[in-house]
Amino acid sequence: MIKNLLFKYQEKRQLVIALIGALLGITFLISSVHYLHKINEYGEDSEILGKNTLILQKKVTSASTMGLTKTDFSEKEISKMKLEPFVEDVKPVISNNFRVWFETNDPYVPTFKSDVFIQAVSKEFLDVKSEKWHWKEGERFVPMIMPRDFLVMLNTFMNASGIPQVSDDLAMKLKFRLRISDGQKEEWVDTKIIGFTNEIASILVPENFMEYATKKFAQGDPGKITQIMVAGKEGEFGKLETYMNVHGLESKNSQVVVSRLKSIVGTLFAVILVISIVAVIASGLVLIQYMQLVLSHNKYEVRTLLRLGMHPKLISKTFFRYFLFVFLLVLTAGFGFFVLLKYFVDEIFQTGGIYMNEQISIMAFSSIFLTFIIFTLASYRTAKNEVFTLFNK
Amino acid sequence: MQIEFNKVLPKPLSEIEHSAESLWNSKVIFESGKRILLNASSGKGKTTFVHTLMGLRADFTGDILVDTKNTKSLNTDEWVEMRRSKIAVVYQDLQLFPQLTVEENLKLKAELTAPFNSNDAIDKLAFLGLRDKWNQKCGFLSMGQQQRVAIIRALIQPFQLLVMDEPFSHLDNNNAELCMQLIQNRCDELKAGFILTTLDAKDNLTFDYEVKL
Repeated sequence: MIKNLLFKYQEKRQLVIALIGALLGITFLISSVHYLHKINEYGEDSEILGKNTLILQKKVTSASTMGLTKTDFSEKEISKMKLEPFVEDVKPVISNNFRVWFETNDPYVPTFKSDVFIQAVSKEFLDVKSEKWHWKEGERFVPMIMPRDFLVMLNTFMNASGIPQVSDDLAMKLKFRLRISDGQKEEWVDTKIIGFTNEIASILVPENFMEYATKKFAQGDPGKITQIMVAGKEGEFGKLETYMNVHGLESKNSQVVVSRLKSIVGTLFAVILVISIVAVIASGLVLIQYMQLVLSHNKYEVRTLLRLGMHPKLISKTFFRYFLFVFLLVLTAGFGFFVLLKYFVDEIFQTGGIYMNEQISIMAFSSIFLTFIIFTLASYRTAKNEVFTLFNK
Repeated sequence: MQIEFNKVLPKPLSEIEHSAESLWNSKVIFESGKRILLNASSGKGKTTFVHTLMGLRADFTGDILVDTKNTKSLNTDEWVEMRRSKIAVVYQDLQLFPQLTVEENLKLKAELTAPFNSNDAIDKLAFLGLRDKWNQKCGFLSMGQQQRVAIIRALIQPFQLLVMDEPFSHLDNNNAELCMQLIQNRCDELKAGFILTTLDAKDNLTFDYEVKL
């Protein structure tokens, strides 16, 4: 009967407007949080380079070919780049300064051997588990990360030899070895592929192994640093790209395209997220204001109920529960709209060749939960304050 | 239930000069179980008396003691308990819900303390000539009819003291007498007292003693 008394005769138009606002705000909030998270996640599983990491080299121009400009990086250049505010870290990519051959060493695979180029990068730039990525003298296997193009070449050879081609998983189970030499002495070391990359054109080995081999087999001066690894700060890829253009640096095109795409789309969703948060706060405020309006319209009823001996807690609970129910309906409807919207947006992404994990992001659920908690606290406080204010009047 | 007004003076009445026998700014005890008339002309603070006693205003100096407990020290739960089952009130402005029926108005109050006894409520309405108004919305009743519904609503709750603020102001003598009879019966039944404020003739009222404002 109390609900009937307090809510039956209310003006519904303002409630409907507030509900539509809240519904739109929540739908866009969930959507933007979900896609912002998915875009940040995009490509993380398939690549071994850390987040926002690029391998840079200087552009080869006619001047550098004629020896007028250098294509290697000096220590000073690296230190200067480290100081840029959008740069998280910079480390040189160490290349081999000795001869290296890669060859198969498995009874199930015909012999294949090739001169190769190996490089070592600091572990912090790689997104690989540390227990897989280490080597010390005396250990049997040297872990390595193989360029996927190399596997394509290996498969071409397998095909020509009448042997079934190998997948990524199978390649990681086959035995290979590296032969390193300085022209006089040589050494064979067993290796194991622990992953593949589209981002680097050479075979990657741990720094320890590179140091060991350089010490033992290096010829002449230490190798020049022609490539560097740069980790940019989250969301500041645009600044790094401008820096690259100004300083004549380049990266593998796909890396730049993906990073640029992630940066642009990420920024777009971040803007949508901010707008959504503002919309949710605004519609939340409208709902709270509506609650105050209902309380104000029912001032006589609330005051009379209190005078008759109804506990203010019971009345504030009635208001609180009513608005919580309304907000839960809005959240559920908002989630429903998001699922519908996600279906279409995922389709658009897939049409454009971007395949994202289709599971709903945990961040989306968290945003729903957080919104619910904030509204619950705000509406509880409003209901309690307004009713208790009328208690002694 | 004994009520003591000790030097109570509401701020709006502090500018007015009060007589020596006035309740305001002096010590007056409303004895337990007594039927007391509070007689005063307009503007002397009859409604203010009801509101200060029921904790609806706190703008007064002095102390009000209910069974020796100062009302200034009562917490929310204690006020709720007092309004719910110790002091029943017929407010001057009646405090009915016009959008609810007579039945709903009575039910809403009764259910705060005990299960609603509709037969008892119907009997009381019939006694006051309102049997046919059971399903009528209070907003459609005359002021005199509303006044009788408000009296019945106060009577159906348990109480030790019934406070009535000009409860018969819209009633003819006959209806006022019927109401008074109902009130006396209920007070006898509960061994309760009442305080009745009035500004006019007191010929048809039965009471133990009178307090001036």
